[in-house]
Amino acid sequence: MSLSLDAQAPSKSNPADVVIQNATVMTVTHGTIPNGSVWIHNGKIAGVGASVNAPAGALTIDAAGKYVTPGIIDPHSHSALGNDVNEATSPVTPSMMMIDAFDNLDKALYQALAGGVTTELLLHGSANMIGGQAVVIKNKFGLSRDEMLFPNAPRSIKFASGENPKRVYGRRNEVPSTRMGNFEVMRQAFEDAKAYMASWDAYNAKVAKGDKDATPPKKDLKLEALSDVLRGKLYVQIHCYRADEFLTEEAIAKEYGYKIRGFHHALEMYKVGDKIAPTGTGIATFADWWGFKDEAWDAIPWNAVMSMREGVRVALKSDSNDYIRRLNQEAGKMVHYGGATEDEALRMITLNAAWIIGVDDRVGSLDVGKDGDVVIWNTDPLSTYARVEKVFIDGDLFFDSSAPGFGTPRFHGVMHDAEGFGGEDEEGDAE
Amino acid sequence: MKTAILASGLILAAAQASVFAQAALPVPNGASLAPAKTIAIVGGKLLTVTHGVIENGVVIMSGGKITAVGPASSTEVPADAEVFDAKGMTVYPGLFDAETHLGLTEVASDQNSNDLAETSDEISPQMHVADAFHAETVRIPVERLNGITNAIVAPASQDSVVGQDAAIQLSGRDRDEMLLQRDIALAMNFEGSVRRRANFEGPSKFPTTRMGLASQIRQAFLDAEAYEAERAAAAKPDHKGAPPKHDLKLEALLPYLHGEKPVVLGAYESYEVEVAMGIAKEFHLKVILNHVTHAQDILDEIASYHVPVIVGSIYDFPRSNERYDAVFSLPSELQKRGVKIALAGGDMGGSRNLPYAAGYAVAYGLPYDEALKAITLNPAEMFGLGDKLGSLDIGKTANVVVANGDPLDVRTSVKQVFVDGKAVPMVSRQTELRDQYMPLTKSK
Repeated sequence: MSLSLDAQAPSKSNPADVVIQNATVMTVTHGTIPNGSVWIHNGKIAGVGASVNAPAGALTIDAAGKYVTPGIIDPHSHSALGNDVNEATSPVTPSMMMIDAFDNLDKALYQALAGGVTTELLLHGSANMIGGQAVVIKNKFGLSRDEMLFPNAPRSIKFASGENPKRVYGRRNEVPSTRMGNFEVMRQAFEDAKAYMASWDAYNAKVAKGDKDATPPKKDLKLEALSDVLRGKLYVQIHCYRADEFLTEEAIAKEYGYKIRGFHHALEMYKVGDKIAPTGTGIATFADWWGFKDEAWDAIPWNAVMSMREGVRVALKSDSNDYIRRLNQEAGKMVHYGGATEDEALRMITLNAAWIIGVDDRVGSLDVGKDGDVVIWNTDPLSTYARVEKVFIDGDLFFDSSAPGFGTPRFHGVMHDAEGFGGEDEEGDAE
Repeated sequence: MKTAILASGLILAAAQASVFAQAALPVPNGASLAPAKTIAIVGGKLLTVTHGVIENGVVIMSGGKITAVGPASSTEVPADAEVFDAKGMTVYPGLFDAETHLGLTEVASDQNSNDLAETSDEISPQMHVADAFHAETVRIPVERLNGITNAIVAPASQDSVVGQDAAIQLSGRDRDEMLLQRDIALAMNFEGSVRRRANFEGPSKFPTTRMGLASQIRQAFLDAEAYEAERAAAAKPDHKGAPPKHDLKLEALLPYLHGEKPVVLGAYESYEVEVAMGIAKEFHLKVILNHVTHAQDILDEIASYHVPVIVGSIYDFPRSNERYDAVFSLPSELQKRGVKIALAGGDMGGSRNLPYAAGYAVAYGLPYDEALKAITLNPAEMFGLGDKLGSLDIGKTANVVVANGDPLDVRTSVKQVFVDGKAVPMVSRQTELRDQYMPLTKSK
């Protein structure tokens, strides 16, 4: 069966088998296959290669002359969080849950989808040293809030450092107003969490001994969340620009016994990549954005590739409702700035980005068993001339540029228009 | 001269193995102290902009000008010329960014480094960006490394009449060498964000509406007309009484009232474009339209104005009721209607990403040749510099770029930039940081 997807009426039922064939298939993990095919069965990738053993009834898409990649993954976005990015009323707010602000009809999600983005980590902003807990979504634009959540994704928490916390609280003549203050606030929070954990341990021990009069400590959402950080239950994602601060953050993490999953922005990682690589912490950085504030003054566009050469796992990210639409171009720049191979460049916006989020076992490459998140491009996605033509998520078609209207087979209605750039560094205390 | 560290896998953009990097003695912002020699760029693919593509071509530069352009087979290389081997490379005119704030800001978050706009008065034509232009900005060499050789420096769009733009060359020993022309155009805006509402800066004051903005602009031009008439009257021999006080503000508007220079008129919405063009017509202003981002429903009308347009930025967001590509396709839609278009950097990455914006416009329908024109010849012509800049033609300023591929592709690296026929050192603060921390050269 071969048919035009354009003609399909919106429907909840999708074909069990989809085969995209005759394409240049960029797998990320095992090279590029010219004239290759990708077979998706029941939402999972069932075959990738020069040919695949798809059943005769599969929906077949002839992608001759086109390129196929896994869905693009953005490990740092504030899309669809409206004006609720920062709870900037205290430098420590670990119990804020970004899912409580997630607006699944925000047009930014649609525009990102049209740029091939299938998975996003939606983070708290950088006003607070310890911000809130992130939400991981699949960009199934048109489905309900719950249906857009990435099932069983690891929990992440956002930390910050540097200029933003000290600016936000310093302006109010509160602590922190310096980097010393920043880190003091953080250490005190962990001391409080340790005391809280100890009080629960003591209570549990009493109960275990059969003490019926033991009174439990008061449940505290903030300290519960911090305890989960110390127990290693949350991936720690830290907004951090400067080389000295990476080192301080790693030292504090070691002192309190947690791991840092990713440094975000990380514009000076090229200075200390050799020191950070052994810790296993990855980075999610900008391609070439620089100079917008003091702590971004030493940013260079070679940062990503130089850090990668030092052994740091490198992802690119948007932190913006603009760049999220063209992360493929940002990856293309890595060929120019530092001579990344196309595989290395593409990995920065797919598999490595998935690793930052902790979902690299399920998305980020075209491998059998992974989720059927697949993008068809008109040409090489790392070129300036690339446009997204179709986006499949879990094997379902969510974007088709040739379809009329928005090109969204699953969305018909009115989008929400959250004005703003979608970054965390926008002016004003609230951002 | 830098050497590529192949073992690290890093290919240095500055690794062009030629005499050029050595010959050029770096001074602030890149001009070479060495006298201009005759240079021949030989063997490259020439994108001339005005007369097509020449495979295996030759460009000769002498005395700061282009003196010959043609196929290698028929273009003689003078015996005394220094030869730049461009085999396998692409050669094209230096790029021209139609709107930047270069030299008016260094670190955006640091107010002390910003001279973006004088916001004390909405009508400030007597503000000259040339008076604030900081030639030694770290940003200029950074942008230049991607082949940007010329730009318009404009104030930020915070007033109705913000001040006068300057045209610059992105290389020179000091301000005067870099300023091509001060007061080349008047920066004007008719858009909501100019209104003096409480959420803008300080408390609300007139004008808080578009009616207010429009009447204020009209009054300013009427005052200038009256001033000029009064001055003319005072110049007559039989005139009695004192001549009018010399008024810098009104004086500044006169060349624009006479249509001697263009006004760059910024407007986003259809109705804003229409109102702004109405005012421009009333005072016979020579217009370059700017933005027109959300005026997609009046593109035919815009074409009927017969004025050039600086489009976008194409990265401005579409509205929630628009398709994702509504703004990406704007350059193509305007060009199709015969409008002369230019693009401006308009990206947080800066002017160095200008060629990629042009490439993205190609992805969304703009013919390639027109995209290249939109960042070379078209902006040069809009600002009256078309006889000097924007193409590989004999007699033009020798601003020429050599790259290892298609200039509009993000994967391409610029290998050498020539300004005024001189090789500019391919260094910036960023390449210096890169080289200082290069993995294999760092002590471990």
